[in-house]
Amino acid sequence: MPDTLGLGLDLLLAGLAVGSAAALSGVGLIVTHRATGVLNLAQGAQAMLIAYLLRELVVVRHWPLALAAVCCLLIAAPALGVLLEAAVFRPLLRRGAGPAETLVASVGVFVLLIGTAVLVWGTTPFGDAPALAPATVLARPGGHPLRLDTLTQLAGVLLLTAAIGLADRYTGLGVRLRAVVDDRRLAALTGIDADRVSAFGWAFGSFTAGLVGVLLAPYLLLDPYGLPLLVLETMAVAVAARLRSLPVAVATGLALGVVQSELTRWRPPGQLLPLAQALQANLFVVALLVAALLPWRTALAADRGLPVPYGRTTSAGVRAACLVLLLLPLWFRADDLRHALAVPALALVLLSTVVVTGYGGQVSLGQAGYAGLGALGTALLVSGRVPGLPALPAVPALLLAVTAAVPLGLLTGWPAIRRRGLALALTTLAVGTALSRLVFDQPYATTGLDLGRTALPGGDRGLYAVELLLLGAALLLVRNLHRGRLGRALTALRDQQSAASAAGVDVPRLKLLLFMTGAGLAALGGALTTLASHSFDPNAFDPVRGLLWFAAAVVAGVDSAAGAVAAAAALTTLDTLAGQGVSAVVVGVGAVAIGRLPGGLAGLAGRRRRPPRPVLGPLGRRVRARLTGGGAG
Amino acid sequence: MTEGATTGTAAGLSAHGLVRRFGGATAVDGVDLTVPPGRITALVGPNGAGKSTLFDCLGGATRADGGRVRLDGRDITRLPDHARARLGLARTFQQPAVFPGLTVGENVRVGAEQRAPGTVRGLLGLPAAGRGAARTATTRALRLLGLEGVRDRPAADLPTGALRLLELARALAADPRVLLLDEPTAGLDTEQTDHLAAVLRALAAEGLAVLLVEHDAELVAELADTAYVLAAGKVLLSGPARTVLADERVAGLWGAR
Repeated sequence: MPDTLGLGLDLLLAGLAVGSAAALSGVGLIVTHRATGVLNLAQGAQAMLIAYLLRELVVVRHWPLALAAVCCLLIAAPALGVLLEAAVFRPLLRRGAGPAETLVASVGVFVLLIGTAVLVWGTTPFGDAPALAPATVLARPGGHPLRLDTLTQLAGVLLLTAAIGLADRYTGLGVRLRAVVDDRRLAALTGIDADRVSAFGWAFGSFTAGLVGVLLAPYLLLDPYGLPLLVLETMAVAVAARLRSLPVAVATGLALGVVQSELTRWRPPGQLLPLAQALQANLFVVALLVAALLPWRTALAADRGLPVPYGRTTSAGVRAACLVLLLLPLWFRADDLRHALAVPALALVLLSTVVVTGYGGQVSLGQAGYAGLGALGTALLVSGRVPGLPALPAVPALLLAVTAAVPLGLLTGWPAIRRRGLALALTTLAVGTALSRLVFDQPYATTGLDLGRTALPGGDRGLYAVELLLLGAALLLVRNLHRGRLGRALTALRDQQSAASAAGVDVPRLKLLLFMTGAGLAALGGALTTLASHSFDPNAFDPVRGLLWFAAAVVAGVDSAAGAVAAAAALTTLDTLAGQGVSAVVVGVGAVAIGRLPGGLAGLAGRRRRPPRPVLGPLGRRVRARLTGGGAG
Repeated sequence: MTEGATTGTAAGLSAHGLVRRFGGATAVDGVDLTVPPGRITALVGPNGAGKSTLFDCLGGATRADGGRVRLDGRDITRLPDHARARLGLARTFQQPAVFPGLTVGENVRVGAEQRAPGTVRGLLGLPAAGRGAARTATTRALRLLGLEGVRDRPAADLPTGALRLLELARALAADPRVLLLDEPTAGLDTEQTDHLAAVLRALAAEGLAVLLVEHDAELVAELADTAYVLAAGKVLLSGPARTVLADERVAGLWGAR
């Protein structure tokens, strides 16, 4: 027994290290949100960037660790925060943008920073990220190693939280922050320097992000995707605290870290073992999902959606250009055609964002999860891995997988009935992350799912034709959804949910329809992706990819189906020709600038539907003739 | 008493012992109220008296914690707001709520076309059932409130006064039996107010049951048949509008505002 107890203590100490970093991430997110009203999804990317910077200074340029750490954490990280505030978020908030808009901007920053890191440092993972404090064992009380890094980390988090709490209570800073978030203009009128207050919030949030990155980097291989994803998962902490309570965040973070660590010695027999291992490896994801799905009581649950300019229609020219763009690859050489196969598939995934977020106003960051479900389902069916079913040919497998994915739209559709704005965005992100980690990134899905050369008449050309056919059918469905009675009801839902409901629109049903349609479209896109690449790649549908796709759809014009098609073509072309990272930078820059470009690029290309100009009737013409005649005569 | 039991054949809208709490506070505290057809009923009271909460309970935007709401004798207490709307209970909001992404005509059309089903038909691209009727109802409502001239303009372009009229037009397009209006004349000029009063009188004469929250005491005295005075979530007194408004307790409340 003492042995078990001893192991338990060791694991507890190990868990505190990860837990305190998670707690810190939650504290940073909450402080930024409280100070600026922005839910900073980009936090993970900031963390990654600062971690890269520290490694660059210490490992490549051989700076002393202390100097490099001061430069990164106390200068570079706050400067990044201030820069983001001044360049991206201040213009948005001054204009009175809602949380959904600032959320999109933060997604843009996320994508942009990741793209930048890929361009600067490449995607090769580094295993030599420097640790801030050495892992020297300070003491061995009862034989358990008490390490310096764990202790400093834990002490740092607790001190920082206590300091924020004290500043909140005794300096009136908290009141000023609250005032700025609630009503920036009013706060400015009462003599509060709103810009300074929110710049401070960003500087602090960025500092904690950097600290989180630097603390977590030594635990994993440093690459542009892993750390942001990990920090995204630690959002469980902030979500559990409902973006408010710092003590709850710290307690949740530490508890999750310890439980995750303790779970490593839980080895249930037989069938349960893989499940236990999945739970252990993904405890933060499970917590994020649970925390997001529990009822939200705060005001976060009732926010506005994304603003979309009135009645903009895509011009016939743009539509024709899209059509030509899509038909062209049929005459491509085999190599180029293979790349082009990704376009209709990606267009379908982006189209699902257009439907859910653009038409219905429900911010959904989890569409990549549905794409992955379609892809995985198709792969399983084609390779004959579904019990009770023979290996199916490509097209029936695809249709069956998509049909199965449609009701799964309820995973986000059901929570969406009672949520809006940030709460909904977080819930959909949690569902997407959970699907990616718990369903796609599991041994059964990652090993031996080879689709081989699935028989489609005409090979790649045949597949491309099938893709075009399905995309055409989907576009038709989407057009029907956006016209007539359904279209009006959707616009009403997007613009004023309560008024739509009062006018008799069955809002819950409409939301379910919306999310199920979105799930079906995304699943179709994912299924085609898998057929085109002859394999299932779980990383192709992770939440980071999902955020990139979301940002791309918004930049292209979130309520524009043609924009989605064009964006898919542009993204694929950039990825093929320019190499990794460029598309992320392009999309990120666009999403960051979206505040100045409501309606996205489609808004520029499209023409605004103008009300008909008043025309003179017969009497008017007679009067005018008389007047002009009289003037001349 | 079972769900859906009717008490007599009370037409119009009625509430019995309605209670709505927020945390520890009771915003609506046992309100009894009848809105009979063919009459205009007014709800007055100081700010914070619970008028808007009562409105939300009647319209279905929030669920009451206790009591019953009946529409033409049918118990609708547990129905959500869209279901109540489809049964003929239309409402407007204190802050005019229109859909800026639609034209004026489309805004009204949304109100007109919710009773007929048609989601599947819509997805298949087929015209919805009852399309002609919805179009007629839209035109009629627009004409009644003098919005025909701006039918094809974006609703976002309208001034506040016209937004109120548009909201009312959307409510009327659904051909309701009961109309709940939350401060319908706020932001209207005198001409628009007079027009609105005339429209409301005509609608009541047609047999519509109208309940309105209004701050303009003169208008209430002139327009309403019956008035309820709400204070601290309770009905302080009720009766013929002029008598109620002349009561000194009411004068005290209005003065306190």
